[in-house]
Amino acid sequence: MNRLTHLPTLRIRPESRRDIHYRGKAHPAAAGDTIATALYANGVRIFGRSLKYHRPRGLYSLDGECGNTTMAVDGVPNVRTETVPARAGMTVKAQNVVGSAERDLLGFMDALSFAMPAGFYYKTMHKPAPVWPLAINRIRKQAGLGAIAPDFEITGVFDELYPRADVCVVGGGPAGMCAALAAAEAGLRVILLEARPWMGGFFDYRAAAHPGGGLLHERARELADQVEKAPTIRVFTSAAMTGAYHDNLITAVQQGGDDDPFDSRYLQIRAGAMVAATGCIERPLLFENNEKPGVMQVGCAHRLARTWGLMPGEKIAFSVGHDLGLEAALDLAELGGRVVCVADIREDGQDPALAAALAERRIPYFKGWVATEAQGRPTLGRAVFSTITGTVQKEFSCDALVASAGFTPVTGPLNTAGAKLAYDNHTGFFLPTDLPPKTHAAGRIMGLQDPLSLETSGRLAGLRAAADCGKRVDDAVRDAEAALASQPGPERGCKLVTAPVKGKKTFICFDEDTTLKNVKQAMAQGFDVPELIKRFTAAGTGPGQGGIPGHNLPLFVAQTQASPDKHPRPTTVRAPLVPPLLAEYAGTNHDMSKRTPVHESQAAAGGKMERIAVWNRARVFSKSKGAKAEIENVRTNVGMLDASTLGKFRIFGPDAVKALQRVYAGDMTKIPSKRMKYAAMCNDDGCLLDDGVIVKQGDAGANDFYFTASTGRAGQTVEWIRYHAKYENWDFHLVNLTDAYGVINLAGPNARKVLEKVADADVSNDAFPFMGYREFTVNQTIPVRAMRLGFVGELSYEFHVPSSWMQALWDVLAEAGAEFGIQNFGLEAQNTLRMEKGHVIIGSESEQRTNLLDLGLGFLWDRNKPEAKTVGAVALRQAEHQKGRLKLVGFRMAEPADRAPKDGSPIVDDRIRGYVCTARYSHALDMPVGMALVEDELTPEGTRLSIFEDGCEGNLIHGEIVSMPFYDPDGKRMRM
Amino acid sequence: MSLTLTCPICGERNGYEFRYGGEDKGPRPDRARLTPEQWCDYVHMNDCVAGVQKEWWFHRDGCGAWFTTHRDTRTGLETDGPDNAART
Ligand SMILES: [Zn+2]
Repeated sequence: MNRLTHLPTLRIRPESRRDIHYRGKAHPAAAGDTIATALYANGVRIFGRSLKYHRPRGLYSLDGECGNTTMAVDGVPNVRTETVPARAGMTVKAQNVVGSAERDLLGFMDALSFAMPAGFYYKTMHKPAPVWPLAINRIRKQAGLGAIAPDFEITGVFDELYPRADVCVVGGGPAGMCAALAAAEAGLRVILLEARPWMGGFFDYRAAAHPGGGLLHERARELADQVEKAPTIRVFTSAAMTGAYHDNLITAVQQGGDDDPFDSRYLQIRAGAMVAATGCIERPLLFENNEKPGVMQVGCAHRLARTWGLMPGEKIAFSVGHDLGLEAALDLAELGGRVVCVADIREDGQDPALAAALAERRIPYFKGWVATEAQGRPTLGRAVFSTITGTVQKEFSCDALVASAGFTPVTGPLNTAGAKLAYDNHTGFFLPTDLPPKTHAAGRIMGLQDPLSLETSGRLAGLRAAADCGKRVDDAVRDAEAALASQPGPERGCKLVTAPVKGKKTFICFDEDTTLKNVKQAMAQGFDVPELIKRFTAAGTGPGQGGIPGHNLPLFVAQTQASPDKHPRPTTVRAPLVPPLLAEYAGTNHDMSKRTPVHESQAAAGGKMERIAVWNRARVFSKSKGAKAEIENVRTNVGMLDASTLGKFRIFGPDAVKALQRVYAGDMTKIPSKRMKYAAMCNDDGCLLDDGVIVKQGDAGANDFYFTASTGRAGQTVEWIRYHAKYENWDFHLVNLTDAYGVINLAGPNARKVLEKVADADVSNDAFPFMGYREFTVNQTIPVRAMRLGFVGELSYEFHVPSSWMQALWDVLAEAGAEFGIQNFGLEAQNTLRMEKGHVIIGSESEQRTNLLDLGLGFLWDRNKPEAKTVGAVALRQAEHQKGRLKLVGFRMAEPADRAPKDGSPIVDDRIRGYVCTARYSHALDMPVGMALVEDELTPEGTRLSIFEDGCEGNLIHGEIVSMPFYDPDGKRMRM
Repeated sequence: MSLTLTCPICGERNGYEFRYGGEDKGPRPDRARLTPEQWCDYVHMNDCVAGVQKEWWFHRDGCGAWFTTHRDTRTGLETDGPDNAART
């Protein structure tokens, strides 16, 4: 299609061409095109079919106020093609069609519409009951908007941003821009949200004169220029507000343009004050077939020509109720369009200059006339007009009918912010009467239309917002108030809703195919307020969120005098104001995880890395089943494990011991030098949160301790200790060293032989016994905190070293151990090794309600320190003799040939009596063993357990309680 | 959770940075003369006022401080004190 060129208002760059695909063909689009304008430029007039009746639908508003132009784009259904830019390579499909949008095989549904009155489905399909499942299946196939494949996965970059602003201005038209400038001049940080890709609002595409001189679009660019140059204003274009929440939290979704590194972006703005300057949309004119492709609103027709260089039709008819419509008719004629007639709903009150200009151009102009029917199939070919009373008729051949009854202020942002609206008889608008604190409105949303008034009201709102932010702007506010009072106020609005028609195919809501007749049926059945009629007829519940019927429905209901309340009352508006994608709420999936300092060498050594909470850890190294080779190597030789994920902390200061006494169950005043203390933390219910070891650092008298926490608990340890010290004013410092230190666990009967080769200290069994703590260097260089403990049940050392030394120590030990055949072992091996020893892992052998005593760890609780007010101590005392608690036990399989049950399998008799925590084949014992939490009656040794394994089909497997530890019960191997 | 909180160290910040620490119930009671019911009440029971309450917050994604603030539970807004005046 030939585009108009050389217009100063054009927003496309035809030289930057890209193709989008529709119906198997590449359609050229220009930079600046939306999907909808690109298709229109390629001659597409029917964009899809309607929900119920499969009526053809086309361009109507260009701002996405109805579902007419929602299409499937790259597999994503219900994309609002009027607001999404045409990007290279997009594949676009029409929705709700069988065949094509032009020749939809379900088009016959329209002829059946007489059989489907309002509430049809609710009333007919539910009896007899078996009908409904069948009916719903048919209805779902025929009706509804786009479909999504169940396995569809969205692609694209979904960004998110959480900016702060003093003032957030919603709407970048003349009022919004002036508000932003006024607030910025007052020294404030401003965020301006504009739903369209550029600022300018309804000045942007208009060539009419500005009363202050120049043309409106020139003024728009002048203001936009000032806004862009203002250093404290941040502008987000293509950003549609989705909602306002309390304390001025404003959310929006932004479409990415050609130069943006994202496809769309979720914005959540915390603002000191908000200015809503969202302007108006048009209030649809209701007549027969008022949604036939070819019928469009004034702004749609005008912007098609002025912004995208597309003449809306060959022969253009107008039926309007405001001067903006007359201006558009004249402007399209000026640009070379053929305007066949202009019907004006108003008898009088027009701008005389516009009426004179129409006469001068010999455009037939009818005052007090209105379109009553659009004809043609499938698109518009002819329109019927009549006087408002319907007495006289005329017909015009046309392929575009520009129709608009009046304006509707876009009050959604104010609604979601909590503003109250009331009907104003002068403008015919729902105007804000009661704004929440720090919320302001400006511009056309207040009923103003005069360019100077719009700018002044914007400035005033910006200044008032500045005052909310503590700026002293009283004088400027007074001046702006005075200026506004001297300028034209709100204009009287046209209140006509419907042409003189019966309303059978007169659509009040396009998205839900709701006709005027449906509304009348609802009222005849006693639904007398718009909120109820909306629910019964579904008008306004579609993707357009009431953009089409939101204003007309209450006006129409009030005019019928059927409502008990004679004042029109708006239906409720809720967030999100425009439909966002779930992907936009989900945002970028920043899957952040941590790597230990020896991650690379672990992976290079064949470690199968696995994500465990925030960490990546090596699960296994060997290929043998159940990590058998790794386990045997630790039991008989020597292995090395990266345990860097352990939580590591330092606490010091005069009151450090008091803090430890508070959170640890044991007596923390008795931590000997050069020895570790094993300790546990409980919550206030006595349930086990964490265990670890504590060592004393420095001189005997120094209040300086180093302690460990389990991997999963490390992130909360500082918070927990400070929480329980919060009332005390204790003097201590607590530092999280988890990432600053790495840990290597060297374990196995040959561990000492390896260590002896590199340690600069006597590490013999006498010099460095079990549970000992030593600080020494390795190879005269690497500073090591060494702990001798036995989680895996063998002679075992933990070396804590600064992260930067981790790899060096790892390599030194690997080299020293080479002659013994040292090998890596991973988590899987560790899990079996510790299980054979009956050592618990919190979260595996414990759950929310498992206390210290249930786990057989009562020895970690010192009951004689009441002055410490130890967390959990009171509850432990109370639970000591409580019946019915789940207790930790060890079990083996009753049939030695049985394999170990899956972790988590329930233990049952006539009810569930517990569950398996961990069970593995023990190579050391040559049979499967496990740990389980069971009711206390089942704890005696020898008790038979019936285990229900997922998928066992009723064939229970059986275990038998045995004492723990399973392996080396006397602990000789850890002490050798 | 669309609120802001004023950390005594970092100033007013987005509510997402904080963890709620419950109502301000005062220091831990002495264990002596304490019935199990009294203890349970201290640990688990809350006043749940519709109005201004003093409460604990932890600046988790910030300085790591525990602090108390007054907040009107009906609006989510911090107040200057136990009386109902919203902070301006
Ligand atoms: Zn802080």
